[in-house]
Amino acid sequence: MTAKLLEFKSITKTFGGICALLNLSFHVDEGESLGLIGPNGAGKTTSFNLIMRELKQDKGEIYFKGHEISNFPTHERVKMGISRTYQIPRPFNEMTVTKNIRIGLMPDEILRVMNMNSDSKKEIDIAKNIGFSEKQRLVFPNELPMGDLRRLELARTIATNPKLLLLDEVFAGLTAGEITELSNLLKKKRVEDGLTYIIVSHDLKSLAPLVDRVVVVNFGEVIAEGAFEEVIADKHVKKAYLGT
Amino acid sequence: MVKQNYKNGGVLKKSIIWWLLFAVLMSSLPMAFSLGTLRIFIFANFIAIFAMSWDILSGYTGYVSFGQPFFIGIAGYASAILTSHYALPLYVSMPVAVVLTMVAGTLFFLPALRTKGTYFAMVTLAFMEVTYHLVQVVKPGITGGSRGITGLPLLVTGAVANYYLSFFSMLLVAICLLAIGKSGIGTVFDAIRMDEDAVKSSGLNTTKFKLFAFMLSASVAGIGGVLYTHYLGSISPRGMFDINFLFTILIAALIGGERSIIGPIIGAYFLTFLLELLRPYIPGSWRYLFYGMTALVVYNYFPKGLYTMITAAGDRIRSGMKRGEQYDSKAS
Repeated sequence: MTAKLLEFKSITKTFGGICALLNLSFHVDEGESLGLIGPNGAGKTTSFNLIMRELKQDKGEIYFKGHEISNFPTHERVKMGISRTYQIPRPFNEMTVTKNIRIGLMPDEILRVMNMNSDSKKEIDIAKNIGFSEKQRLVFPNELPMGDLRRLELARTIATNPKLLLLDEVFAGLTAGEITELSNLLKKKRVEDGLTYIIVSHDLKSLAPLVDRVVVVNFGEVIAEGAFEEVIADKHVKKAYLGT
Repeated sequence: MVKQNYKNGGVLKKSIIWWLLFAVLMSSLPMAFSLGTLRIFIFANFIAIFAMSWDILSGYTGYVSFGQPFFIGIAGYASAILTSHYALPLYVSMPVAVVLTMVAGTLFFLPALRTKGTYFAMVTLAFMEVTYHLVQVVKPGITGGSRGITGLPLLVTGAVANYYLSFFSMLLVAICLLAIGKSGIGTVFDAIRMDEDAVKSSGLNTTKFKLFAFMLSASVAGIGGVLYTHYLGSISPRGMFDINFLFTILIAALIGGERSIIGPIIGAYFLTFLLELLRPYIPGSWRYLFYGMTALVVYNYFPKGLYTMITAAGDRIRSGMKRGEQYDSKAS
């Protein structure tokens, strides 16, 4: 149960003279849901970018299922079972919802991709499962409200058949109703697919019921770690958030 | 659901009928037109092949290439040298030249694939210019220097035979590229254009797909290049690596409509005939001014191209008819 699925080991990342992550370490166990919180600019999204190899760390190693993956390109990591959503949804704007999901489903082989030109049962199943109506499936992303765009991001990442999902600011820009809906969906998918989550969010109230453990980051360093209530009561965390 | 499937099948059948009609119509042209007009058609067919080769790479993936003449030239020169200096028969030299284009293109453009946007365009343009100069300086004994090589063997002789050859080559290329464009590969190319990083994070190796687009484009340009060279019977650096040649290809694809494969064909015919029809009325190079202006006007008002304009008009008529059908079905 307590096998480490992903381990982020003493990672340092600088942008020019600015140190975004300083010797940052954290891990997530298999089946766990980890909250990654911290004030703006703490290095949360940078961590995600490093895990996906959209950026390369200066120092340190990343382990996934016990393998060192620091030199693996993005698509290899996705094939191993890591997938992410973006803070600002990045759908393929000139494609319908189902076609967006299809991109996630596509195997990384030219000959097999060649045969994937029509609606497969699988992509419709995923769309249904995520809660897109038959009408919405044929809609283009620019006609969707924010809540549905976030669900589309989720659908496309789930289509890649991940073990570990990195959810970046999933609740930003959503109405209270949409947040409840998405939370329930995340809970459902976690049980259904046996997913492991790392969730970044500023909306701590919505985050609390979703996570087993929280890591608080500030200026690229871990300042607290533990159960949600404990961490929130920590004086360092209060100071980081409130500035006093 | 059932309705949807029926609709897709219907569209496919309809498009096959359209292609057959197009092929029959074009095959009967030699009966109706003079040999001079046929030669214009031949040129248009070649421009269409080149424009389609541009479309499958640049139109789909958004990596704008200025390097088409580079491919065409490599293929043309390779086959020209193999036939004139090594006296190889055409059926050997042509496939070798196409393979060589793909290999050379891939090798040269691997570094280019690491760049994006304008930089990619500039790198490809640079390759064309560099080749233009190199061909004249390096081993002029073999390449014929700035005068090029003349007296090359012809594939077929006569305007009619050449017309059929160019047309059916064009048709074959069009059908193959269209099938690829409509397949999942086309979807991935599309997605790369929209957001390459999001494609990567969907687990696809974009470099592999871009390289495939690239080799596809190179091979089509290569096929066009050898056919074109052995149609003309001569090759020269000015004729191949010319910026005007490049722009004719580019504008044909853009005016006709990118990302449609059919668009570049329409664009190629439109442009070639526009130039030829202007010839009697406007002296000298003045017609290039009109040609440029027309291109500008068309591109300004129909940025999605002539093909989209035609299909949009068709859809409008059809939706009008469908509304009638719906009314009928409701009534019954």
